[in-house]
Amino acid sequence: MSDTRIIKKRYIFMGIVFVGLAFLLVLLPEKQISKELKSEQLLQEINDNTRYYSTDDVAKKIIAGDLYMQLIDVRTAEEYNHFHLKGAINIPIDSILNKDKDGKLAYEYILNQDIKVNVLYSNGTIYSNQSWLLLRRLNFKNNYVMKGGLNKWIETIIKPMRPASVATQDEINRYNYRRAASMYFGGGTVKAAPDASNSPAPIIKKKAAKEEEGGC
Amino acid sequence: MGPLFTATDEWSFVIALVIGIAFGFILESAGFSSSRKLAGVFYGYDFVVLQVFFTAAITAAIGLIFFEYFGWIDLSAIWINKFYIGSAILGGAIMGFGFVLGGFCPGTSACAAAIGKIDAMLYLGGFIIGVILFDAFYPFYKGFYKAGNMGGALIFEDLGMSKNVFLLVFVMFAIVAFVATAYIQQRVSKKSKKY
Repeated sequence: MSDTRIIKKRYIFMGIVFVGLAFLLVLLPEKQISKELKSEQLLQEINDNTRYYSTDDVAKKIIAGDLYMQLIDVRTAEEYNHFHLKGAINIPIDSILNKDKDGKLAYEYILNQDIKVNVLYSNGTIYSNQSWLLLRRLNFKNNYVMKGGLNKWIETIIKPMRPASVATQDEINRYNYRRAASMYFGGGTVKAAPDASNSPAPIIKKKAAKEEEGGC
Repeated sequence: MGPLFTATDEWSFVIALVIGIAFGFILESAGFSSSRKLAGVFYGYDFVVLQVFFTAAITAAIGLIFFEYFGWIDLSAIWINKFYIGSAILGGAIMGFGFVLGGFCPGTSACAAAIGKIDAMLYLGGFIIGVILFDAFYPFYKGFYKAGNMGGALIFEDLGMSKNVFLLVFVMFAIVAFVATAYIQQRVSKKSKKY
């Protein structure tokens, strides 16, 4: 009973409370803390258009060799193998939520970025937007969408339309840039682009830069 | 809920001042401005330092984990200092040596200086000289200082335990330490009645 003499009673009480609370924490069921984005914020992000990258932005970054941009093709593997943008990786929309052996999201290390900027694309904008929505719901960061998808890519970058004669200087500049980019990406021969993109790239790259300068 | 203020908030200085004053007040109330009391932990006649800090640690730990459980705080948003293993060991040894020699740790010396203790003022002076010297000779030991970065290491992760099980073990350990130090204190006090 020497305990009570050297340790005050209230200390014993406090000790019991501490152990009790710690025990309670161990016994409490594991609670999955939701890291999901709040619906209000999601709604706001859906309505503002800050998630979009234009095809021009993406083309500029590819040509500049921007290492911080990661293109993500959310179409099927088949479509991806048929054609994809240079440097893109394939994560089909139906496998975005795939889990690994430990039950964690298998692609989180790519799709939740602190460093890189992911740009999602599909043929149009629907699948890439859906993928973006899934990722934002999970509160994954730094994911963007290429507006218009590959259809827009072909329309604007690969086969740019000549602006009308009354076009503004901006439009003409943009056209000149797109024409240069089109050459860089092997304009017109869309199907050949992925394979051919490595070899002619360095030569045309210079041209593209020159054209751009001229445009300015 | 939480963080109530972000680090870049201009309010953070005001909050720091308020917390600092509260911290100093509690240190003083607990008798931490007495170097005899503080050094007692090394000689075995007074373990109040160990008891107070252990109590603070387990109270904060239990509180934070409960807060997280209720969703009041996001623990992943809390900044954890990087753990440089070599610096931590050497720095700990130097700190301990200074502690037993001077009878204060940095915080308590400011507290004791505030209530007019001259030894604490000298201690603070030495503290400032130490900071200046450390800065002046920084390039010489920069390599060692920055070596062995283990990031924001968490002990329960390194031990492969769950957070809550580790907390229970830690609380048990704290209680054992409380009882053990109480016995040591009683025996030492019996032997020497000086203090």
